[in-house]
Amino acid sequence: MRGTIAAGLLIAACLSTASAASVAQIGRIKSVTGSAAVIRGKTAIPAVAGQLLQAHDVIKTGAGGLIGITFIDNSRFAVGPNSSVALSEFEFDDTTHVGRSLTTINRGTLAVVSGQIAHENKDAMRVRTPTALLAARGTRFVVEVRP
Amino acid sequence: MRLWAALALCAALAGCANGHVALLNDEGGGVGALVVIDPATGAERGQLTQANTRTALRGGQVHARPLKRNFDALLAVMPPPPKVFTLYFIEGTTQITADSAATLEDLRRAIGPTSDVQITGHTDTTGDAAINDKLSLDRATQVRATLVADGLPVADARVTGRGERELRVQTGPGVSEAANRRVEVTVR
Repeated sequence: MRGTIAAGLLIAACLSTASAASVAQIGRIKSVTGSAAVIRGKTAIPAVAGQLLQAHDVIKTGAGGLIGITFIDNSRFAVGPNSSVALSEFEFDDTTHVGRSLTTINRGTLAVVSGQIAHENKDAMRVRTPTALLAARGTRFVVEVRP
Repeated sequence: MRLWAALALCAALAGCANGHVALLNDEGGGVGALVVIDPATGAERGQLTQANTRTALRGGQVHARPLKRNFDALLAVMPPPPKVFTLYFIEGTTQITADSAATLEDLRRAIGPTSDVQITGHTDTTGDAAINDKLSLDRATQVRATLVADGLPVADARVTGRGERELRVQTGPGVSEAANRRVEVTVR
């Protein structure tokens, strides 16, 4: 019985290592000011410059919090204070440049500079707010959601 | 009591969220477009197509108005555009040309502890495509190894070989072209 549990734990450890290695990194935090966190699954990780980001991560900032992010398609974000921004979908093939992304802002402020996803795939870079869906056509814009 | 009921109704409909979007000029000075879509129906509500205009996102058609404020504090934390460094190679090898040594030095200086680095190799059109795919990847891998050996934090940098798919100078097949034998390093 003990041997079975040990083997189970070993398999679980191997699986988690494999899945961690196969999760695609989609971007990186470049700067953090004030209080800010990355929510990954059920875990809140304090945001730090240099941190890698994955699809489904949620960026949260407190009062005075600011974060700068770069993505692998060369798009960039600036997230303002009191914000909740989810990286809901992000797929990008850096050989073919085919890709799509969906970012969900539930509150706060988000400035966006679009990248290769928007430039090479029509209406494939999208931002969702509680009341609208936005499609970027090669551009720089700011979305604000106030409760 | 009535106020709380109204607030609860608002929250349930999410119709009271005070959303706006503002279109700015691109950093190069041009301007793109932003399409506003009804999330329930997929119908287009309109577009912003002029720099420094804004619209509310409450549910009706897009009504573009002039933007009367700036976002300087927010835009101050927008990371700068990525930099691209191009290293050239001696024909058929993974060795950079003497002329590229200075660019390699610039590249070393540009990579910091929070840099996101992507390394993409290319070849000219001499040799067959499969060999060029491998040579381009070998060139990119060699550049990463050189930077890692210098102590730079790029061990996890993405490395891609694009073979002869993306020529810098267009040529026919089987043409030796120095400008096409290269590795492009993007530093974000």
